[in-house]
Amino acid sequence: MKKLLLLLSLALPLSSFAGAVTIKVSGMVCSMCAQGIQKKFSSENSIRTLKVDMEKKLVIIETHDGKNIGDETITKLITEAGYNVASIERK
Amino acid sequence: MIMKKFIPLIFLMSFNLSAHPVIYKGGWSLSSSNMPDYSNNYVMYSLNQRLALGVEHWRLTKNEINNELGLLKLNHLLWRANGEDYQSNVYLHGGLGIEDQEFETKSTRGTWLLGAEADWETRKLYSSVKYLQFQDVYFGQMRLGFAPKEASFEELQTWFMIQAMIINNVNQKLTITPMMRFFYHNSLWEIGSSTQGDWMINLMVHY
Repeated sequence: MKKLLLLLSLALPLSSFAGAVTIKVSGMVCSMCAQGIQKKFSSENSIRTLKVDMEKKLVIIETHDGKNIGDETITKLITEAGYNVASIERK
Repeated sequence: MIMKKFIPLIFLMSFNLSAHPVIYKGGWSLSSSNMPDYSNNYVMYSLNQRLALGVEHWRLTKNEINNELGLLKLNHLLWRANGEDYQSNVYLHGGLGIEDQEFETKSTRGTWLLGAEADWETRKLYSSVKYLQFQDVYFGQMRLGFAPKEASFEELQTWFMIQAMIINNVNQKLTITPMMRFFYHNSLWEIGSSTQGDWMINLMVHY
């Protein structure tokens, strides 16, 4: 039983990071730009967390367990916010 | 007189505020720019990332007499360049509305607005030019600014800027205004004082 609980405690945090996506965004030069992107992603049910790195021009999202967000949706949301996707990386 | 009813309406709608003439699809924006010679308030809704529709109010003051304009407004993002470290935009402005003309003789008449603005900005540098034409009045503005520190998304961003502005038929001369701009998430505030001692307070929010 103890081993089972230990395995579960190790497995849960790992699975929560399964949907991490790093998006490099062109044109994101101010916090108002980033806020627009944040607002667009807030309507997506699959998104668990969203972080903005202004220095590296990155938007880092994590999806809920078992959920995913496609490159097309990401590109559509960034484009509708008024910016361009430079790259999308998944971990 | 019509405008006195129009101003509270704008501020009732100001739960949704803004900075750029057009923002993200479905976004609301509000901007309020104020100096003794003029004030400009607008509420805009971005139909998409290229087109925004809204209402705008202008007060132009000469010798303590106010001219007020209320306009239905259409803003268009004509061109945008999203670089790795910069963004540059060209916007077009168009509007139709009513003017309470009180400078010469008191009258209410239909009016229009046409204009354009362009900006270029990085996380440290900012520049913009804007030109608007209302029937017999033109409004010209140029801004330059720099940020001493590149703030993160969670920090308050501070900018030092200088604005040159002219409104013919109102102040007739170039007004130079050193100012400070503060950004935090979706809000932007500006305060300044012109070289003639005139105050300036601006607020812009995206929602």
